Amino acid sequence: MKKRKYWYKLDNAAKIFPAVSKDDRSNVFRLSFYIDEIVDSEILEQAVNKILPRFETFAVQMKNGLFWNYFAENHRHFKVEEEPAEVCKYFKSIRNSGFMFKVYYLDNKITLETFHAISDGTGALQFLKSIVFQYFKLRGFKLDHEHLILSELPYSKKESEDNFVSNYDKNNKLNLKEEKAYHLSGEKFHQHWVLVYKIRLNTKALIDIVKNKYHVTVTQYVTALLAYSIYKETVDFVGHKKPLKIFIPVNLRPYFDSVTLRNFTLYIKSTYTSEKNDWTFEEMLKLTKSYFEDQLDKHKLHGRINALVGFEKNAWIRTLPLILKQIAFKVGYNLLGESINSCSISNLGICKLPKDLEDKVIDADFVNAGYGIAMTLISIKEHTNIILSSPLKDLSVMSYFTKMLVDEGLTVVADTNYKEDYDEIL
Amino acid sequence: MRYCKTCKIHYDTDLEHCMFCDGDLEISKDDKSTYKFKEATKKPKSNFFYRLFIFLNIISILVSLAIDYVGGLPLTWSLIVSSTNIYTIVLLAILVNPNFWASKFTKIMIATILVVVLISLSLRDHSWAVGIVFPLAIASTIFVLTILIITNRKKWFDYFASLFIITFIGLVPGLLILLDALDIIWPSLVCFSYSAITLLGIIFLPSKNSREEFKRRFHI
Repeated sequence: MKKRKYWYKLDNAAKIFPAVSKDDRSNVFRLSFYIDEIVDSEILEQAVNKILPRFETFAVQMKNGLFWNYFAENHRHFKVEEEPAEVCKYFKSIRNSGFMFKVYYLDNKITLETFHAISDGTGALQFLKSIVFQYFKLRGFKLDHEHLILSELPYSKKESEDNFVSNYDKNNKLNLKEEKAYHLSGEKFHQHWVLVYKIRLNTKALIDIVKNKYHVTVTQYVTALLAYSIYKETVDFVGHKKPLKIFIPVNLRPYFDSVTLRNFTLYIKSTYTSEKNDWTFEEMLKLTKSYFEDQLDKHKLHGRINALVGFEKNAWIRTLPLILKQIAFKVGYNLLGESINSCSISNLGICKLPKDLEDKVIDADFVNAGYGIAMTLISIKEHTNIILSSPLKDLSVMSYFTKMLVDEGLTVVADTNYKEDYDEIL
Repeated sequence: MRYCKTCKIHYDTDLEHCMFCDGDLEISKDDKSTYKFKEATKKPKSNFFYRLFIFLNIISILVSLAIDYVGGLPLTWSLIVSSTNIYTIVLLAILVNPNFWASKFTKIMIATILVVVLISLSLRDHSWAVGIVFPLAIASTIFVLTILIITNRKKWFDYFASLFIITFIGLVPGLLILLDALDIIWPSLVCFSYSAITLLGIIFLPSKNSREEFKRRFHI
């Protein structure tokens, strides 16, 4: 049944984003599917509007309450747009019929850009898969969903659940004190433009190296590789007072038996001291592995959820009017938010599609335009895409990262949104 | 597909030089590399005129204050100029910032009332501004918002916050009457009564919708 009235409180991760987002800090992430035909924008728009009522957590608009923002139902017609040149561009929802996501088309590419307040990568991927599946259905193809497409399955109230709150236990809280981190610095592109550099690798070849040579996971491997590239290619890291800290979002759904489409991720971090000047890649990898093993523990993750939710449940904070909270968020985020991590790595894992749809989807992108260098991974069909995005013009870290992969014997296929004449305009 | 011999990278895009070493890429005979992003174009600095506008207003404030101060008398006309300069900046910010028309209208009314009060204070006679303009402007705003809600019932929840805020402000003239701070009482009495009735109406004439809206707006 199509609901006319519904509303949600913002989840714990979402609360800060409305207050701190701006042109150079959009908190928007991108997911794209490249399909085997030129996209028909009218059918795409029909597809989005057809499935939107099924995705209640996306069919919302943000409203201001006296104490907190909230999401209210949004029944307006959604309009798709041609993809702009800027990736993960900041947008004001009021100029998007109140919606907090954008759907773009460009040649054979369908792109979903989502404001992080409404969902995380896992939730947005479910939405995009449903859009593309519906698109092909409207094009007249008969496809078997194989129970992998959410819009073809019955709605569950659990999809809209705030699992931060539902898993809250006030008796198990961890201390969340964070020290400041080293930051990559340098000249930035103009117009808040973000460079996207995509590396396509054969998944089997990558796993062979990662599992058999290093006995680690893909995420651990690329984390250490990025850390080592930064160590090797920056001139001010060694001897810098602050350590290199890479944040890695963890999908909490498998740990807490969740199917929510709303945010349900927490960061773990991998920290490398700047006082050591003889790092080897193997040392960094060993350290990374130990960080992952230590932090990917349900009890510890739960402790961090409890600390975060405990903070928002504090009576003083709850009764503070929204306008004061927003000022506090802005000041707090400017003082601490970006200073505690150097870069981020987000691995969305394998994008599993039904066979009929897999034949029509050629490739997928996952881009997160963050501070410094943001790395994302997504595996589809037989290959893995590692996407590095950065607002900085210096490409030396990306170059070294690629060299390390090439030296391992991997075939690197690169793609980018950069063009040769961009030096003149960006 | 294109290839950089130096970096040993294959390129699936139509670059002619390697991104890293700037070397020429080898282009295979069956090359079908395409650019998969929209091309960026140089954009003018969109906020230059906005910044220039703010800058000129600030200069205007400083020059007026300086000239008036040099005159040796208590500041008068320069405060009026400064108030209107600040008002125009605020007005532009409200108009440029995307928002619902009801919200923009309410903000503009509040800013206008404030500038009128500031001008009256600069003239050392605030009775007309606080006693007449302020209450009547608030009452008019409540009236316009009420009409908007009645005529556009589908969007009533978009106007709800503005109406709620303005009715609360409308209670202030009542406080001023209690404090005996006014020379002319009737406009404030009208404004206070109208605001109180509207507020009571919002609270005690509850439809299911307004109860729900209260729950949403005041969730803690």
